[in-house]
Amino acid sequence: MKKAVGVSARRVEGLGKVTGMIKFPADYYEPGMLYGKTLRTKIASGRIISIDTSKAEALPGVRKVVTAKDVPGHNGHGVLFPDAPVLADSRIRSVNDAIALVAADTEEIAAEALELIKVEYEELPGVFDPREAMQEDAPKVWEKGNILYHLPIRKGDVEKGFAEADVIVENTYSTQMVDHAFLQPEAALCTIDERGHLVLRVATQYVHWDRVEVARALGLSVNQVRIICTAVGGAFGGREDMTVQIHCALLTWLTKKPVKMIYDRHESFHAHSKRHPMYMEYKTGAKKDGRLTAVEARIIGDSGAYASWAPNILRKAAVHATGPYQVPNVKVDSYAVFTNNPFTGAMRGFGAAQPPIAYEAQMDLLAEKLGLHPFTIRWRNAFEEGSVTATGQVLETSVGLKESLLAAAKAFGWDVEQLV
Amino acid sequence: MDKVRFSAEINGEQVDLLIPQNLRLIDLLRDYLHLTGTKEGCGEGECGACTVIIDGEPVNSCLIFALQARDKKILTIEGMGSLEQLHPLQTAFLDYGAVQCGFCTPGMLLAAKALLDKNPNPSREEIKTAISGNLCRCTGYSKIVDAIESLTGKEVNSK
Repeated sequence: MKKAVGVSARRVEGLGKVTGMIKFPADYYEPGMLYGKTLRTKIASGRIISIDTSKAEALPGVRKVVTAKDVPGHNGHGVLFPDAPVLADSRIRSVNDAIALVAADTEEIAAEALELIKVEYEELPGVFDPREAMQEDAPKVWEKGNILYHLPIRKGDVEKGFAEADVIVENTYSTQMVDHAFLQPEAALCTIDERGHLVLRVATQYVHWDRVEVARALGLSVNQVRIICTAVGGAFGGREDMTVQIHCALLTWLTKKPVKMIYDRHESFHAHSKRHPMYMEYKTGAKKDGRLTAVEARIIGDSGAYASWAPNILRKAAVHATGPYQVPNVKVDSYAVFTNNPFTGAMRGFGAAQPPIAYEAQMDLLAEKLGLHPFTIRWRNAFEEGSVTATGQVLETSVGLKESLLAAAKAFGWDVEQLV
Repeated sequence: MDKVRFSAEINGEQVDLLIPQNLRLIDLLRDYLHLTGTKEGCGEGECGACTVIIDGEPVNSCLIFALQARDKKILTIEGMGSLEQLHPLQTAFLDYGAVQCGFCTPGMLLAAKALLDKNPNPSREEIKTAISGNLCRCTGYSKIVDAIESLTGKEVNSK
């Protein structure tokens, strides 16, 4: 019986990685393959008046130019709502939008063909701040309105809680848009197998869902699409949405030839999701001894032009809004809001990474006002077994916060006896 | 564009072929020779994923034309060690958990090799400087530095 737990094991695919043998999608080649490229919008909000692809189609070496009218199935994709266009047909909502695809004999010819596609735009007013987008008179990213999601959390009575507080701290915090910048830019190679089925090699976090998305956009059934996940050069949440998958499959399906697509770093930034910037308005009350009496928070997350995971992420932000602390009175309102910014999606922490900026800063400011050590105020409010969270969950087991706090305090060389 | 003759010693073998004058070294390695262990992460010399060793020096192969490496000795990850006979750095990277997604690994290994070939006993700071042109986005620098340091005869405890 070989031991597994407690031994230092090598990664199963480590050998392939240290020898350079393992294959990422760009490392595959097929005889007779074409190179695919994507024409993306230069504007963030507007309409396409006309697209002229005739010059690109006439360029020697160009095999196919594709626009929205050539999408055989549903012209949309998205993990929760298929609201992001495969290829924009009239309305442009963000700089993510792809307008046309080219398949050509070489990468150079494909790039030249993109230059020859003439797109006429009408620019429309856009909205780039989610707080502005919530106003009645804001430009509408979507006709149904810009507020995609709202989650209210209520516990106890915050008015009563603030009335009982000896000190109240109010502040607004904001976090920025962040790109995952995984080291391997998106790439894919798509072929058609002997059964006439599509075989797409891509680095993805969501292989079975990719199959659904590709099949839906191409009007195929899922058994006609096979996704092979290659080695993945980092992802961190940024490979949960479509980028190259449908485009590469579409070019392969329409040319019946193998097609390879490789993004450079610039296009990678254009194509995939970002971390949600959040505006977090916080009001926190505490008694003289540091015990929290109430937290009121309004969290506004910028979803960009498409939903991706925004409702789930702003739900998670709301659930984590009071941190690992016992708060008797809670009022949290969390919103996901459409803007004409690049779309935001999953990124390490999935909405739980932003609120700590706000609630921990509030704890430090309360401690300062009350003349308490930052450790003490946290110790006096920390979750322990039996605590009830803001959403009513009873923490029955595995609550190691106080143990961790003690270990950290000791590591800092603090006199714990003085602080608890 | 007229093609020109290119020859060099790549991973110990003489290579001779006709290439376009404007071909980057990375494209020669990947698209012409299918040595795909050399990775392109940025195309502008920021990330180091395309690092190869030319006449003993680590070079970003995305920043030079293939012709600039004509008649030189080029080492890519494919020439560093084999499955049967790993280079000690490759073994150390595996044992110290210095490999995560693996996209930076070939460039990281070659940058480390170029350092140790010149200076078998670098300090931790010198190791960090030597790999400062190689980005890892999986937050793996500590273990990479540990793996390299383990070959300098010092006691490293993160295995």
